Amino acid sequence: MKRVLLFIVVLLVCMTTAFAGGQKEAPAKAAEAVKLALWTQEGESEGAFQFVVSLAEAFQAAHANVTIEVLNKETEALREDFQTASLAGDPPAFVWTVNDHAGPFTTANLIMPVESLADLSKYVEGALGAVTINGKVWGVPISSGNHLMLLYNKDLIATPPATTDDLIKVGKQLTKGDTYGIVWNQMEPFWLVPWLGGFGGQVFDKDGVTPTLNTKAMVDTLRFLQELKFTQKIMPAESDYGTADTLFKEGKAAMLINGDWSLGDYKNTMGARLGVARIPKISSTGKWPAPYTSGKYFMVSNKVTGAKLDAVKEFIAFATNQANQLAMVEKLTRLPALKTALDTDRIKNDPILKSSSDQMVVGTGMPPVIEMRCNWDAMKPELIAALSKTKTPEDAAAAMQKAAEACVKTIK
Amino acid sequence: MPSISLPVILASLGQVGSTVLYIALLTAVLEISLYLFFGKLLKHKHTIPIMLLTPAAVGLVLLVIYPILYEVALAFSNMSLRHFQNPTYGIIQGVNNFRTIFSQPVLKQANFFPIFLRTILWTVIQITCHVTFGLGLALLLNRKMVLRGLYRTLLIIPWAVPQVVATLAWRGEFNFEYGFINIFLRDLGLKPIQWKLHPFWNFVAVNITNIWLGIPFMMVILLGGLQSISHTYYEAADMDGAGPFSKFKNITLPLLKPIMTPAVVLGVIWTFNNFNVPYFINEYELETSDILVTALFRAAFEYNRFGFAAAFAFIIFFILLGFTLLYMKITKFDPGLEATRKKAA
Repeated sequence: MKRVLLFIVVLLVCMTTAFAGGQKEAPAKAAEAVKLALWTQEGESEGAFQFVVSLAEAFQAAHANVTIEVLNKETEALREDFQTASLAGDPPAFVWTVNDHAGPFTTANLIMPVESLADLSKYVEGALGAVTINGKVWGVPISSGNHLMLLYNKDLIATPPATTDDLIKVGKQLTKGDTYGIVWNQMEPFWLVPWLGGFGGQVFDKDGVTPTLNTKAMVDTLRFLQELKFTQKIMPAESDYGTADTLFKEGKAAMLINGDWSLGDYKNTMGARLGVARIPKISSTGKWPAPYTSGKYFMVSNKVTGAKLDAVKEFIAFATNQANQLAMVEKLTRLPALKTALDTDRIKNDPILKSSSDQMVVGTGMPPVIEMRCNWDAMKPELIAALSKTKTPEDAAAAMQKAAEACVKTIK
Repeated sequence: MPSISLPVILASLGQVGSTVLYIALLTAVLEISLYLFFGKLLKHKHTIPIMLLTPAAVGLVLLVIYPILYEVALAFSNMSLRHFQNPTYGIIQGVNNFRTIFSQPVLKQANFFPIFLRTILWTVIQITCHVTFGLGLALLLNRKMVLRGLYRTLLIIPWAVPQVVATLAWRGEFNFEYGFINIFLRDLGLKPIQWKLHPFWNFVAVNITNIWLGIPFMMVILLGGLQSISHTYYEAADMDGAGPFSKFKNITLPLLKPIMTPAVVLGVIWTFNNFNVPYFINEYELETSDILVTALFRAAFEYNRFGFAAAFAFIIFFILLGFTLLYMKITKFDPGLEATRKKAA
């Protein structure tokens, strides 16, 4: 028995020594060392994740006591994992994400208002509005926009269509063999919303929380999309984000609808061939499609306090200072959220950024309320059903409404 | 990005070191207490076995029993996004959760019973294909032939590839524009299939992937079973003039039953609960391809209905428990081989 005990004691001593070896550096600086986890939904393919990492590295170089671990998560995974990690009591200190996460995060009481974390008067009002819930601001804006626009390949099309009638006409000329007139991510309702706006629809009633999906505008929108796909045949039978992206980059799609987050990547791969314009005006209504506008934001866990919170504040100020905002414009071709950065000649003289800004003007602020989550989840399967012609536009719109209403009930 | 080097490894160990250290310390305290209590105080003759088993028992309580109890508590709560940090627990909440499962959609449109029936259909298709093709391949491999080892290795490969990796690779191949199946169909002059968008074809795609993944397991198990059947039975049958089908029906199948029964029971449970394949192949989240466990996952982590999802999980658990007991009763499952062997002999 004594041998067993002796063995246990020796084993413990060995393990203690081994693991203490790995922790050598930490205790020496324990007093002021701050370790922050930052989750971002910025992907590597657009170079945006690398930009976030470069900011973290630059900040660490100036603040020896702060370590920032940047982790990439797909947008929905970030939302789910942040909720789960918060429930387990170990969330990341802050996240770099889209505005509509503010809805679920505030409903579950996971993040803190940011009025005390940054001087919000320095940021564009439009960007702040997209994260304002119940009179409080829940995110510090990093970029403004995050909106969809029409990108086109100048080798295939010299002038982009101004109306949907032109789009159909040009699209039919361009669609031949394995080349399509226009592509976009058909599977996500984020790409449905601009068209809905063009047909005069909105996803919420005036109160901002009651879903209005079973409307004439929605039926017209779905019918229009079916026409583009099945009657005029100017778009692929099936295309998600990756497929649309690849088709456009390979020159197999003349036009693409994508967001401002992708501009940097397309500018790098296509160079001067890339053109940017507004999504064509709906001929039957005379209205411009209205993509959702918002931006990217820092949202801070309400579990962060003390030295960690101070470090988070400093990093937010650093990441959104004039120099880094202009660096973001340079590297990612996104519109900055800082007023002074948005007002520079760099933005005004860049044709791509100017077009992006021009599209943003006709956009609609994306609702950050939790009910929007219900609308997204309700629209997605029905959009897919309409685009696979397994449901009529009328049935799909009715089913969307029913699902959204049922969802709103469950979250109350 | 830092590459894997000694400082990185040491830093990683340092990060988990404190946790491991606490566990080791607690284990030591536990062991010493057990030794003093059972060994010194009671002078119990089974002190050593108790000391060896207790850490595992504590681990099981923490990692299995506690989560199950927490699950029960959650099923009787109204935990959702709105009541994330302050849920209320009670019989009323529990009854509400269980009633909602059967009275309202568990996803956006789909109700419980259509998903349940689809899950049964999915399980029947899968197990039928796994056993049929698995047995067929096992019979082919259970003969003397050139390069048998090579064939066996090749056939086992789908099982050796991590399931998520294989599933994501298949998902790529179901791409409308760039997937090899559609490229192949186009080259043959046929119309490409909307594997991800069309409800029927999406369900077919999910099935194809899982059949491919599941056959090797059944094949390996049944091959082991076939190799354990003594040749003397077949020799005796030859002397009696039995044909191949008669030998298969009267010797192979009965003697395979003790191996096949647990394999089928396990196969049913794994298939019924298979998450990776139906979730990842169904990239566009068609509710028409969801089975119970993927619906459960969506209810919990996409729609944040945690209390509801916990109750839902219990329903799935009881369905599987009922199935297992029923199947074992119908097949008169005998875990010992001897009785069956004697009967066959």
